[in-house]
Amino acid sequence: MACSSDDKRLIHKYLDEEVTLLEKKQLESHITKCPECEEQLQELRKTVAIIQSASHMKAPDDFTDNVMSRLPKQPRSTRWKV
Amino acid sequence: MNAGGYIEMDAVVKKIINEVKRGDQQAFAELVELYKDKVYQVAYRMLGNVHEAQDIAQEAFLRAYTNLESFDMNRKFSTWLFRIATNLAIDRIRKKKPDFHLEDQVAGTEDLTYYSQFASDEELPEDKVVKLEMQEWVQNEIMMLPPKYRSAIVLKYMEDLSLKEISNILNLPVATVKTRIHRGREALRKRLRDS
Repeated sequence: MACSSDDKRLIHKYLDEEVTLLEKKQLESHITKCPECEEQLQELRKTVAIIQSASHMKAPDDFTDNVMSRLPKQPRSTRWKV
Repeated sequence: MNAGGYIEMDAVVKKIINEVKRGDQQAFAELVELYKDKVYQVAYRMLGNVHEAQDIAQEAFLRAYTNLESFDMNRKFSTWLFRIATNLAIDRIRKKKPDFHLEDQVAGTEDLTYYSQFASDEELPEDKVVKLEMQEWVQNEIMMLPPKYRSAIVLKYMEDLSLKEISNILNLPVATVKTRIHRGREALRKRLRDS
């Protein structure tokens, strides 16, 4: 089925949560008639969900100590700024 | 800092930065504590390797420390820090890149056929995928993206940042960030479908 590039563009706009109410309706009505676009939208949503499901990572335990030990040595007579 | 509220957080961060600027080097440890996980995550997701991630994330904090005078206090510290980390990660990727460049294959095209070549290797029937394998799979897929799409996808979907903020971090117009997210998303979708 041939879809206008407009429909494809709307899919991404929809995923970016930037569609207007009118555009949303337009896309929804298109999707009921176009299995290809419906599939693409579903797959994209699933893709996003999978990426978002990746666990948040933690820095290693000694991270802060390592950074602090690598900071340039402070001169003895630090000039204090006001 | 209560409940991580944005305003409170901002005030705390500014206070710490001022202490560091006044010469209290130890205060910098508090900044590291606040942002180490996020910075480490960006580095890891970009580089796909714990050693390099540690190296780059630490380097980002060292650069932030030595350049703290140039930080504009009216801006958001995390944006500035992410920018340093992202740039370092991208530099590292460039340095270790062989001649063959993924970006050349897909730049400026809607047609991301390149990705389908890789699709056959792993067989991951959805039902069987356990959590850990999924984690690995996600990271592998992220690593397959050209770095410029990778950074946009990581900042958007793993760090949960707004388009505006990503645009500040990557120093790109919002429209360009959007395009990169769209292309990254499409590339990942095709890989997912073919796997």
